Amino acid sequence: MNDLYLIFKNLTRKKLRFFLTCFAIFIAFLLFGAVMALKGALDSGIEMSADNRLVTVHKTNFTQPLPYAYVNKVKNIEGVKDVTHANWFGGYQGDPTRNQIITFAVDPESYLDVYSELSTEPQHKQNWLKNRAGALVGERLAQANNWKVGDQIPISSNIFSHKDGGQTWEFIIEGIFSAEDKQTDTNYMIFHYKYFMETQSWGGDYVGWLVLTTTDAGFNEAVAKRIDEGFTNSQAETDTSTEKAFNKAFIEQMGNIGLIIFSVIFMAFFTILVLVGNTMVLAIRERTGEIAVLKTLGFPSLRIFKMVIMESLFLSFAGGLLGIAAAYLAVAGLSEMLARFLPNLILGAEIIIQALIYMTLLGLVTGIIPAINALRLNIITGFSRG
Amino acid sequence: MGQIISQSFAVIAMNLRSIPRRIWMSLAMVFASAVVVAILLAFLAMVKGFETTLSSAGSNDVAIFMRGGSGAELNSTVTREQVNLLEVAPALFKIDDKPVLSAELYVIVDGIKKTTQTEANIPLRGLDIDGTKLRSGFQLIEGRMFEPGTNELIVGAGILREFDGFDLNQEVRFGKYSWKVVGVFSTGGNVFESELWSDAKVIQSLYNRGSSFQSVRAKMDSPASLTELQTYIENEPRLNLDVKAESAYFAEQGSSLSYMAIFGRVISMIMALGAIAGALNTMYTSVADRSREIATLRAIGFSNISAFIGTIIEALVLAALGGVIGALAAYLLFDGLHASTLGGSFTQVVFSFRLSTELFIQGLNMALMIGLISGFFPAWRAAKMPVMVAFQNGH
Repeated sequence: MNDLYLIFKNLTRKKLRFFLTCFAIFIAFLLFGAVMALKGALDSGIEMSADNRLVTVHKTNFTQPLPYAYVNKVKNIEGVKDVTHANWFGGYQGDPTRNQIITFAVDPESYLDVYSELSTEPQHKQNWLKNRAGALVGERLAQANNWKVGDQIPISSNIFSHKDGGQTWEFIIEGIFSAEDKQTDTNYMIFHYKYFMETQSWGGDYVGWLVLTTTDAGFNEAVAKRIDEGFTNSQAETDTSTEKAFNKAFIEQMGNIGLIIFSVIFMAFFTILVLVGNTMVLAIRERTGEIAVLKTLGFPSLRIFKMVIMESLFLSFAGGLLGIAAAYLAVAGLSEMLARFLPNLILGAEIIIQALIYMTLLGLVTGIIPAINALRLNIITGFSRG
Repeated sequence: MGQIISQSFAVIAMNLRSIPRRIWMSLAMVFASAVVVAILLAFLAMVKGFETTLSSAGSNDVAIFMRGGSGAELNSTVTREQVNLLEVAPALFKIDDKPVLSAELYVIVDGIKKTTQTEANIPLRGLDIDGTKLRSGFQLIEGRMFEPGTNELIVGAGILREFDGFDLNQEVRFGKYSWKVVGVFSTGGNVFESELWSDAKVIQSLYNRGSSFQSVRAKMDSPASLTELQTYIENEPRLNLDVKAESAYFAEQGSSLSYMAIFGRVISMIMALGAIAGALNTMYTSVADRSREIATLRAIGFSNISAFIGTIIEALVLAALGGVIGALAAYLLFDGLHASTLGGSFTQVVFSFRLSTELFIQGLNMALMIGLISGFFPAWRAAKMPVMVAFQNGH
């Protein structure tokens, strides 16, 4: 009879309790995995930003437009590698509040230079650059809507009117762009800025914001300063920041809601662990008499110590691994369903490692008190207590 | 029947008095139930607070006009010509033969949030005196009204609370232009307090809006006048506008956090499953712990129904106790908690978490459900326990 067999027998002596305790741990880690994935999805904009990418927006607020002439002015500033620009189109299909299609009007060539992590088939790229009424669609967006290259898609704008009447533009999908890293946002589509300016009824030559790369991330600050100083006292003063800082500020606009929610859920996670730990400690304490028997039979104290620790570790991992596996499946399933709202829902290795650490901690912390008690147990008191 | 009731009371009293013997397991159950309830209420209080902030802003005898299909003020444009056409629209409430009508626009400007010290979107709304009349409950709590035609603004109480740099008499800079804060206003806690107000004409000229606006609000003769206005718009080709009651518009906007309520319910349901697993452990332990008492009572003629009821009531009491503690904790921690988030107009909505009686009841229901399920199966075991076995179990 080896130790493992004993541990197993001890764990399953009360099958119902074993099952219930496992289930509680299972729930805790299921929640942990799912919520961490959600948090990761919300933060992915910060994680995925390039080090040498800057965003220049109107100083009043990023929703204010900038004159088109700024593009060339910024291009000539020392330390700037590539510059591109984008306009928010306010795209949707069907119901304007429910089915938003994130759409930007961009300068095609420079956009793909600046966002170098986006790749598309060379032939498709050529076709798109040539076709002014063509659109390039992100992989996630295409999947969510079942769009293929060659499809003609009507996209309405909740801001602009087409100069031929109505508010709907017909685009032809010339290509689909994707990125190697799965958390890169591809839940949007882009089309030609020139075409946009020519077809919308107001005309004009302004851009929403500029995105640029610096020749080296070390120059970021100097370049940002040069740009903003260049436009001081002009009609449209600018505010340039790194893409990371810009995305972070944008996410923080959602406010402390996220913070409140996540802290509440983590509190809950740790509470479950405390509760489960309590049950586990009690379960082992019931067996004081048996431990005394083992000692009488000549089991070394250290061996019993290890067995008790192993038992709680085993319980913790049995529930925890199942929980995190279920979270993985749930996230995989949900990420398809929610592709439209939360395109970057992924339960990655980092979360799994964290979960494993918590499982180990749970096992050790709940095992250590009864294990030390067992280690120190005087056989006589053990029997009298039992 | 009377006997069952008196027996049950005896058993319930016994069970409750024996709780100190299994104090840790029982506390664990109370605690688990409290956490589930607190989490559920945290989410619901947030959604409730947000909804109330928006829905209390809209009145149903004010009509709001925006460009067709724009959905929100942010995306809308209304020309001067359209405003003129609306001024002669039928069914509008008039004072001295003039409708109470306000053509408005807003620019989004950056403010620094106190909590994070990061920039966030605030609406700088341009309107005129009629605009303030259309907000019920509007009052200046400090300073004075802005002078038309100048770079003066008044600040909503919510903005003052959540953002830095908008104190009375302070100069504020948005891009190239600087403004002076001359007053602080309140509209009774609703979404308008998350705004800065100033003269519409000044905003048009400083921010290159020409003579265009984004929305028009007008007081109607009665809520029923809406259909008349709709007909008027449909028959006038130059008015490609949508008209809604302001209350309907804000109800729509207020539902934008409703996904949070769903999320909260799902999370707390999953948590409740975990809590039930823990609570079942507690209650089975309780039944095992009391098996000798149960057997004794059965042996002296108590019915098994009393054993069942005794156990299930014990579970309900523990869970309900947890529910009350959880609800109180949620009340202390969350009620009145200030938060702000991006609303439908792409600007910050400052709101407070709000726990209503209705939410308390929902929380308690959740706790009772946990108690009922986790009490039922152990109670069944208690009722079915053969007397002999019970004596053996209890040594």
